[in-house]
Amino acid sequence: MNMVEQKYQLIPGVELRKGSNVMIYGPTFSGKAMFAKSTFRKLINSNYGGIYVLTRETAEQLIEWLGNDYNPNKVKIIDCVTKSMTGEAKDTASIKRVTVMDLTGISAKISKFFEEFWRSGVKDVILVFDSLSTLLMYLNIQTVFRFLHILTGRVKMTGAIAFYIVEEGMHDEKTIVTLKQLFNGMIEFKEENGKKYVRFVSSLVKTEWFEIVVDENSVVIA
Amino acid sequence: MKAVTGIPVLDEVVEEFPESKTLTYWIDPEVEGNAFAMQTIYTNLERGFKCAYVTVTISPESVISEFEEFGWEVKEFENFEIVDLYSSYVGFPSKCKYNANPINLEEVEVLMKKVLEKFDIVFLPASSIIDVCGEEALRCIKDWCSLAKSIGKRVVLSFVAWPYSKEVKDGIIEISNALVKVGGIHHRVILGYYYGLVKADWKNVKSRAILFKLVRPGGVRAYIPKILVTGPYNAGKSSFVHAISNRAVSVDRLGTTVALDHGHLEYKGFSIDLFGTPGQERFDPILRMLGKEALGVILVVDSTKPETFPRAKQMLESVTHFGLPYVVAANKQDLPNALPPEEIKRRMVLPNDVPVIPISAVKGEGVYKVIDALLDLLIWREGEDELEI
Repeated sequence: MNMVEQKYQLIPGVELRKGSNVMIYGPTFSGKAMFAKSTFRKLINSNYGGIYVLTRETAEQLIEWLGNDYNPNKVKIIDCVTKSMTGEAKDTASIKRVTVMDLTGISAKISKFFEEFWRSGVKDVILVFDSLSTLLMYLNIQTVFRFLHILTGRVKMTGAIAFYIVEEGMHDEKTIVTLKQLFNGMIEFKEENGKKYVRFVSSLVKTEWFEIVVDENSVVIA
Repeated sequence: MKAVTGIPVLDEVVEEFPESKTLTYWIDPEVEGNAFAMQTIYTNLERGFKCAYVTVTISPESVISEFEEFGWEVKEFENFEIVDLYSSYVGFPSKCKYNANPINLEEVEVLMKKVLEKFDIVFLPASSIIDVCGEEALRCIKDWCSLAKSIGKRVVLSFVAWPYSKEVKDGIIEISNALVKVGGIHHRVILGYYYGLVKADWKNVKSRAILFKLVRPGGVRAYIPKILVTGPYNAGKSSFVHAISNRAVSVDRLGTTVALDHGHLEYKGFSIDLFGTPGQERFDPILRMLGKEALGVILVVDSTKPETFPRAKQMLESVTHFGLPYVVAANKQDLPNALPPEEIKRRMVLPNDVPVIPISAVKGEGVYKVIDALLDLLIWREGEDELEI
């Protein structure tokens, strides 16, 4: 069974199998996005291909954050922000821009990137979707569920690892329960007394809460 | 002038897009299929039809930009309008003459009635409308198609086949006079794309699948990824590739091919790559390697040299054991001692259904009939490539 290498695991005792779809859930500013970004960076530096779907920042902002770790051959970006704001934004081979409601465009472009990685011999891929909460601002849960049903199936089929960020407090309980059905597990964040914590929850595993330190570049266990 | 689909090969099958009909593109959710409806709209704009394009999940500016990516300058057409159901939904003021908020279905119904009365062909993104307005919007879509039918207008639907309820899928099939499936060749990833006619109630036609790629600019282009041109030494393979290609290169030494011929052909809406192999036995490993990736084979034989036929059969067998379809090009028919095609078929002991086409590659005679024969085998073979929704 293929696992993410131990040194890239943030949460002790949690092994993510290839083909896993994982929800990242927690309140605003709890470290979710930084966790996703830093995991993405670690894996692309470990010969993974990376696909990042952005709904809250532009491709250029992600590229700036990645700095020298950005390599267009290994990092593919679907930018759902720029086109929604300006209407006119040119695509490149590694950056595709769509509007956030255009689920067909997002789906087809993710699929195309998977194909490109496959044909270039890159079999290990990490996908980050930041965030499902933005989709749910515009589209109902049934529509988002149908979209995710296809996407999570493709991730499973390709043996990729995918993280989907969901904001705690923005959606009702029914929505969260519906979304959870699609995922293998959940990386959950919380903030208490000025400290941040993370744990992993699935139908088989529930870790303890680990205190974390979040800065501009990483999330580490305290 | 009659309206058409504007899609390569499809128009040869359905011949026209008659009035009062609904044409649906039924699209795999992982396939970029919007270009089909855009191509239908643009082709008919050029033909002078008044066309309206409804957008729900993409801004009107992005719609224009997507048309332009394919080289279709829709802004230049006075007979084109975008019906904007996007801007109000996301809270922007609309710059379009025809606009409404899709949350208010009654408002949209009034607008759509006006649009259908004014325009000849109307594009509706059916699945996007259902995504935004809910499955109850199916009733409205049915009503609009009925209205179009009663007043002699045409509707183009795009339906992205997300896992909707059976009721929704059946409803779309029911209102579609013609259904074109746009799908992906699913493996661990999607390796290729195809489309095919599932039904057209004005033509009694069989389902057929056609590979395609999207070309920017250009749109939907039917294509055959790789055709292998093989045959014995000096049979005329390079001459054939050069005679038929829009552009071709050969790697030669002392007048014979020592590596590969490569040619590219744009023909009947297909984009075809031709690979010619060297005829000498020492290159047989290349032949087998190319055979694994090819979709079809053209065997070129010298009609004046029956002594080379056993070698031709040997080459054919090494590339067709994966079940590839093939045709035989009986070359050098312009020479006095050339054997006729039927005699070549008999001497090579070829099955009756294998086409043997008489050609003269140096004169360019008959070469396109070879391509036609192979296309018939690849694309139009009856009983194969049956499409289902």
